[in-house]
Amino acid sequence: MAEIKELTKKLKEVHERIKAEIPWEPIGHTPMPEIPDLRNWDMKLLQTYKPWYAPFCDLCCFCTYGKCDLTEDRRGACGIDISTQQARFVLLACLMGASAHASHAGHILEVLIEKYGPDKKIDLGTSIDLEAPNIRTVLGLKPETLGDLKIAIEYVYKEVTHLLDSTAMGQEGSCLDYESKSLHAGMLDHVGMEVADIAQIVGFNYPTSVANTPLVDLGWDSVDKTKPIICFIGHNPATSTVVVDYLQENNLYDKVELCGVCCTALETTRYYSRAKVIGPFSRQLFYVRSGIADVIMTDEQCIRTDMPQEATKAGSALIASIDKVMYGLEDATEMDTDEIVKKMVEEKKHFAILDPKKAAEVAVKVAMAVAPQRRKGWITEQEATEMSKKCSLCGMCETACPNLFEIGRGISEVAKGNYEVIREIFNLCVGCGKCEEECPRKIPIFKIMQVGASKETWKIRAGRGPIMDTEIRTVGAPITLGTIPGVVALVGCSNFPDIRDLAEMVDEFARRKYIVVVSGCTAMAVGMWKDADGKTVYEKYPPDFDAGGVVNVGSCVANSHISGAAIKIANIFAALPLRANYEVMADYVLNRVGAVGVAWGAYSQKAASIGTGFNRLGVPVILGPHSSKYRRLYLSRKEEDEWKVMDARKKQIVETSEPSPEHLAYVCETKEKAMVMIPKLCIRKNDTPQGRGIKLNHYISLYKKYMGGGLPEDLPLYVRRDADIPLVYKKEVKAYLTQIGWKPKEPVGLPTLIGTYPTKVPVDSVIH
Amino acid sequence: MSQLAPLLPYHRVNILTGTRTARLVEDPAEYAKLIAKAERPLLVLGPRLLKITLGERLLLEYALDIAKIKNIPTCATATVKSKMVELGVKPDSVYDLVEIINALKDPQWKGVRKEGNHGLVMFFGFRTDLGEQGLSVLKHFAPHLKTMTLCKYYYPHADFSLPNLKKDEQWKAFLEGLIENLKKE
Repeated sequence: MAEIKELTKKLKEVHERIKAEIPWEPIGHTPMPEIPDLRNWDMKLLQTYKPWYAPFCDLCCFCTYGKCDLTEDRRGACGIDISTQQARFVLLACLMGASAHASHAGHILEVLIEKYGPDKKIDLGTSIDLEAPNIRTVLGLKPETLGDLKIAIEYVYKEVTHLLDSTAMGQEGSCLDYESKSLHAGMLDHVGMEVADIAQIVGFNYPTSVANTPLVDLGWDSVDKTKPIICFIGHNPATSTVVVDYLQENNLYDKVELCGVCCTALETTRYYSRAKVIGPFSRQLFYVRSGIADVIMTDEQCIRTDMPQEATKAGSALIASIDKVMYGLEDATEMDTDEIVKKMVEEKKHFAILDPKKAAEVAVKVAMAVAPQRRKGWITEQEATEMSKKCSLCGMCETACPNLFEIGRGISEVAKGNYEVIREIFNLCVGCGKCEEECPRKIPIFKIMQVGASKETWKIRAGRGPIMDTEIRTVGAPITLGTIPGVVALVGCSNFPDIRDLAEMVDEFARRKYIVVVSGCTAMAVGMWKDADGKTVYEKYPPDFDAGGVVNVGSCVANSHISGAAIKIANIFAALPLRANYEVMADYVLNRVGAVGVAWGAYSQKAASIGTGFNRLGVPVILGPHSSKYRRLYLSRKEEDEWKVMDARKKQIVETSEPSPEHLAYVCETKEKAMVMIPKLCIRKNDTPQGRGIKLNHYISLYKKYMGGGLPEDLPLYVRRDADIPLVYKKEVKAYLTQIGWKPKEPVGLPTLIGTYPTKVPVDSVIH
Repeated sequence: MSQLAPLLPYHRVNILTGTRTARLVEDPAEYAKLIAKAERPLLVLGPRLLKITLGERLLLEYALDIAKIKNIPTCATATVKSKMVELGVKPDSVYDLVEIINALKDPQWKGVRKEGNHGLVMFFGFRTDLGEQGLSVLKHFAPHLKTMTLCKYYYPHADFSLPNLKKDEQWKAFLEGLIENLKKE
């Protein structure tokens, strides 16, 4: 009885926080869900998509009882086994990622509430009424003000703390429960990201309710080296936007160049379209070492931790602007502005300045003071050749390269005056700098690479934020019926096996009338390629969320708009209530929305949490080869596993034998294989015959194009009836099906997992 | 597979696996014996086989020779199937690397020829990082089988591995030696 009373009290508190009295939709079963609330949904997913663990090492070294050997069924001193240890590691990665975004969101909110007050209204323009699909679905709260966003972020903070607690020694003992917690962390991440980006749009007046955002310059040679240059690195625009304001207020717009690496660059161009995007994270060290930036301003996330040393070597001034990254620098927030400028210019000192206004003023003044005295430019081929002559081809650089390149060969060819090999290597370089560190002769490999670096410039479309409700109304039906073959979201970092793969993927799928969405470093990488007419994919394809469109939603935190779009389809198009109704939304996405994420260069913990959040929502993710180092995938075994769903209309459980989607988290070794997996992972049980035919047409034709002919081995699993067979391949497919004794099967009227596992959600709630 | 690490992997992004590292084999005759006595061996072929030539021959051709001599079933991953078909050979199975590893984990799996799971799995032609992670899965979760690599780098997570071979000629000699020895076994 006491327990029931306590629960009621708890629920009452939750209802107060989500303003339950405002009846915009009925409240679902999981308002502000805690760890156990969506556990059954997770376990249902994990039953089909079992964790696949690839341990990096045999040991656990988290506590002083260790190191503990976990090989051959051994358990650690705490009792943990190797699977659970991997799952714990993945959860920690997801928590690092989720907390990075949540903390970013919290900081932005703090800055904006200080400036505008908590009652500042959220208005995302005339085409967006459903402003926060993740927050509404997860919490059950409809945020109307910045103050409401604070409620959402405080919920995330609380849950993240609980989850982190579970990773301490002597806590959780099941790998599956750790996976459920990782899925929870991933879901929270999408809430945190949504808070951050909505706050930024509202507070910084970013473009919203518009698709055709400006085309912005991309590439280091788009930066005018004759002017003072300030380069922003990181993700949080709290300071870069103030630098723009300072330039405007002081009539210095044309006097100073602003540019950026990584997501702050994307954020700054949403505020000021004349800022330049240097490129993704993989270009960070290279650009810093070029010394072209007069002032480097760091904020948070994906910044090199040796930035003070690198800035000093390059002769650039450095300002650390956010407390999470202070590098041991003197905190000059309270110091007199002119004194800081003097010390930075004359003594070459770097500082942490946590007041954005002061940091902005100092950055501009220092850049203007030091720029005229600095030599900025690339080294010549002759200089590179001289530097390369010391190479003895010892191979040490190659052993350290995570992308497995023959760097030594590239350098030795430069010594002979051949720059082609280094040019090729530079294109593929992920920019870690380990090669140079290993060189026993201290050859400046990154400097030499300047002769291989393309001086080409490109265009990237400024991030546009949320997908508009009006667009969802147009595409909802064709996506769920399958006549738009899928939504392909290319997201994440720049640890690519080959940077050129991304633009090729975009081009392939936009041409085939998929909807292509991009974000973060990937959004930059896809812009760094031009077709025969000299056009980037942003110039070649329309910016609409529609068949054949290429949509840049923005930075990392804008990934929440991609998950948000999937939820919007369920809510706006299918009219399913979303309020605190996560299972229904995720079930809808898993079974009916043909969307797939591609994180081809995922490297960070943030990418781990973003991807895992997509997985809980029912969106499969394809990862590049480096991502096996995340240690965990979610794979099915198509022939062996059960593919049962509930037919919601007939209230019957049906064995479909159809592995759609086949995997939830999958690593491909090559671009060619990814090209074939993308259309396959867009197949959903809900496809109409016409839609399935279109999807199979792409699957077969891409298989033939990239796998060298023939038909996909698993094609029979996806053909339900003759009507599913694409016309172009009808004869070939029918002959094959006859040969293997294929039998037709009935499509499921309204496929759902609700009703196939223990849940409070009634089956009828998925019927629209 | 029960000794301390005898050396570092070539690509040190895969550095130091921990307590269990591969037995290093430098003699092709020893490899041939291991393959010959294995129960239902399997050869998993990776995309690097299509990119590397040793002498005049594509690496894939060495792989196909090895498979042919002992009638070892093959698994084509990534885009390997297309080249195999071009060379007139049909792979026994087509899976991607993570998929075949996922199947191999299951001791009850019937194997690519439906004769039972494989006793020895040879990997040939993968990126070292992805290959090493895949081998780790089998090292930890597939005690019912042994793994072997045929690439020119040391793979600590395998049961049997070649050493880091600095020169391609050494690799070529090893593979040719292996083929010759397999003919004798």
